[in-house]
Amino acid sequence: MMNDMVIGANLGQGGAKDSFTTALGLGTGPVPVDSYISPEFFELERTRVFGRAWLYVGRTDQLPDADSFFVKKIEVCKASVLVMRNAAGKVQAFHNVCSHRGNLVVTEQSGNSKLHRCAYHGWAYGSDGSLAGVPDQKNFFQLNKKECGLTPIATDVWEGWIFINLQREPEISLKEFLGPYAESYAGVPYGEGHETLVIEARFKANWKLIMDAFSESYHVPAIHPATLAPGFSHPVHNKYARPLSGNTFGLHSAWSAYGNPEYAPPPNSEVERLACKVDTGGLLGSDVNDEVLRLRAHPAINPTKETCWSADVTAIFPNFNIDYSTGGYWTHEFWPISRNETHWILTIRIPKANSVRRRLQLEHYAARWCEIVLEDVTNCESIQKGLESGAKDVMYLQDGEFMIRHQQEILRKWVNAQTVAEAMK
Amino acid sequence: MAEPLLPSGFDELEQFVEYWVRDTNNERWKQRSKASMEEIQRFYDHMLARAEDAIAHLDAFPLDDMPPASERLFKLLLAIAHVAMAVEMHGQPIAHRAQLRSDLQMTQGPWPFGGSSKEQSKRDLEETQ
Repeated sequence: MMNDMVIGANLGQGGAKDSFTTALGLGTGPVPVDSYISPEFFELERTRVFGRAWLYVGRTDQLPDADSFFVKKIEVCKASVLVMRNAAGKVQAFHNVCSHRGNLVVTEQSGNSKLHRCAYHGWAYGSDGSLAGVPDQKNFFQLNKKECGLTPIATDVWEGWIFINLQREPEISLKEFLGPYAESYAGVPYGEGHETLVIEARFKANWKLIMDAFSESYHVPAIHPATLAPGFSHPVHNKYARPLSGNTFGLHSAWSAYGNPEYAPPPNSEVERLACKVDTGGLLGSDVNDEVLRLRAHPAINPTKETCWSADVTAIFPNFNIDYSTGGYWTHEFWPISRNETHWILTIRIPKANSVRRRLQLEHYAARWCEIVLEDVTNCESIQKGLESGAKDVMYLQDGEFMIRHQQEILRKWVNAQTVAEAMK
Repeated sequence: MAEPLLPSGFDELEQFVEYWVRDTNNERWKQRSKASMEEIQRFYDHMLARAEDAIAHLDAFPLDDMPPASERLFKLLLAIAHVAMAVEMHGQPIAHRAQLRSDLQMTQGPWPFGGSSKEQSKRDLEETQ
């Protein structure tokens, strides 16, 4: 996969040498599965987790100019969030709800506008959320326009990622919330001017089941035998796709994925060979270039600096992953809709096509991702059915699944805690 | 004389234009998922045989500014990425154990001819009207 590396030199390192689970101070016993099926647990997740945690809503490049905006629906909290960049360049989120009679104001998904007018009676708001105009204002009673702007939502930005907190007075700052994660991943380079690919799925399974699928690679050889296994496992050196490293950062966690350094498109995969002729073209659309080298040089990325590295999965509590790979980076948003319904948004940032062959490679890359998403969604719905049957009270997690264990522990703390301070202990 | 569907020299691929030339990544994926393995294999064999020629022809134009016949050939070429999933990976039209579903979409594909969510929702709207 990486031409200038000594291929195979570190093959023997593929897989955990020590236990991540015990090294990180996590338990090793069976883990209860009520969090995937219990209506009471879901209600507490809704109010105590999504209602109190910092939630990712978008990236600053979605607001390129003054007066740019986008609307983010957060169904689990029944919120329509209007995120805007004002004339001074500040990014701020508001409830997309008119102060007059409570109608949703902005109906477009995104755009650029100095003024947002409510369709009901024409109340208009500026890109700073202030109430700019009221038709027939004289017919109101002592209306103080200054008090009738859009309701702001606590907003903060870390490394270009926009987070909001739906508590009226957040009990915790984003800085404290991200804690050691933000310190470790500060300054990781993101590709400039990249192509954005988006795959979305709505399906009938608890939101954590799909998050779990990206928390471990133990399932890769079984669920993704053709699409992923050849690149992320090795028949001799890493048969079960064990992770290369694993870490926790307060509420958050990360693991490094093994990449088969001997991977090449199989001889009968003629289209893959055709599409990947321009570069090394691994499963992740990889290429050896300055961007990848800068990424690999960052201390948080592939922290044990193994040559057989392919990607880092990092999970920001409760439902957001930022994943870094040799071929660009991608994010996952795992949004609950109800106890057993999920909206999964996968956003991939990858260098743009500059030739016909490179464009074909991107189509092949995107097509493969669609297959992976389909395989995972199909499997999650199957797990949900199994769990809903009530046959099992617990699940057994192996060392490579430490991230699921960590997420379950943190989640349970937040669900049980009366205050955020208590949850953070 | 009617406008040729594909650039000259690619006549034998014209039989695939109606089914496989689609505007977005998502539509190409759906077309492949709905096709029989025989149809997939037939398109795969014919298109693969001319893929290098097609790339050489298309390289003469900017990616998003091609004459209509060449643009059709470009979209036909892109469809080969999807049939490859069936032929080279699954050995069947769709991933194992999976079914085609309308609640799973590539809402934004690669530029050009990947499709964007705005175009997609406009098309969905037109379909319902």
